[in-house]
Amino acid sequence: MRWDEVDELIRAAVAKDVEEGQKRLCGLEERVIRELARRPVRRSFWERVREFLSRPAPRWALVGALAALLLGFALGRLTAPTPIPQWNPNLFVIAAPGAKSVAIVGDFSAWQPLPLSDPDGDGIWSAIIPLPPGRYEYAFLVDGKWVGQDPLAHEYLRTFGEYVSVRYIGGERADRSS
Amino acid sequence: MPAEELELIQRSLNGDLEAWGEIVSRYKEAVFAVTLSILRNWADAEDATQDAFIRAYENLRHYDLSRKFSTWLFTVAANVAKNALRKRKRQKEPPFSEAEDDPAEEVHQDLRLAAVRRAVTELPEVYRLPVMLYYWHGLPVEEIAQVLGVPAGTVKTRLYRARALIRAKLVEEGVIRDAVG
Repeated sequence: MRWDEVDELIRAAVAKDVEEGQKRLCGLEERVIRELARRPVRRSFWERVREFLSRPAPRWALVGALAALLLGFALGRLTAPTPIPQWNPNLFVIAAPGAKSVAIVGDFSAWQPLPLSDPDGDGIWSAIIPLPPGRYEYAFLVDGKWVGQDPLAHEYLRTFGEYVSVRYIGGERADRSS
Repeated sequence: MPAEELELIQRSLNGDLEAWGEIVSRYKEAVFAVTLSILRNWADAEDATQDAFIRAYENLRHYDLSRKFSTWLFTVAANVAKNALRKRKRQKEPPFSEAEDDPAEEVHQDLRLAAVRRAVTELPEVYRLPVMLYYWHGLPVEEIAQVLGVPAGTVKTRLYRARALIRAKLVEEGVIRDAVG
């Protein structure tokens, strides 16, 4: 099945879900208006924050603990290793002078970002990714911006309004065209 | 923004609830799709849709008129639905809307479509909203990124991954063959 056929199936499926639930929305306008009319005037978020901060010190301990927890969580996320299957190495490379971070996403990584590195700072970012023979769709993320057309790719596809590169590894392309 | 819609918003800002009712009428279906994608349950999505319009009205003064109204409204709706989801998880209520499905009717449905619906419903939360915004609302990736508050590249990776997960599920269930043309 082609990807555009999968797209059509997904489109039909979500439309059906929404369509079947829609009958519940009858009279929603009146319910919203009625609820708003009976509500007291609500204080803004900042008014409530000011009140919270003006309370005695023990609250600050809670704020500090929460900040430490969030920092720990963020560091844990950033340093979590991404498993890579052990296969023949393939070089992925992109010129991105001035970039702060470059990553590659593709079907081989379940579209999760794998970082590229530029150890000598010449703007050429690369990663060696071991992959078994096959056809792979991928794109680069340069400072979070999608770069779908790798000059070293064998072909390009256009999906979700943007390009992705396709690379055939280990003679897969020749097998497919024969 | 169309002048008529801008007028409705300005009237709503001045406390005109009838004008807000007209906004609800225009966007209720779209907001319901957003909340449904997160909550996966029609009854909860209905409640969240109502709450979203109430929250949006109460925070309307924070809406930047230079932004697209629907993008802001979907962001509010997504936040309301995510809060409801967190609350539901704490209360350990059943998440899926499958209990509401009529099995007899499902027999008559196209089996493949039913399988895709299940696959979409079973997607992790982080993928369901971008899928709905892309496939049902037809929003461009940049606008989805604004609603989710993430870079456009992240939206694209989520869409690719969601589609791959759905396809893998369909292959696993034998609904489609394991070959991409």
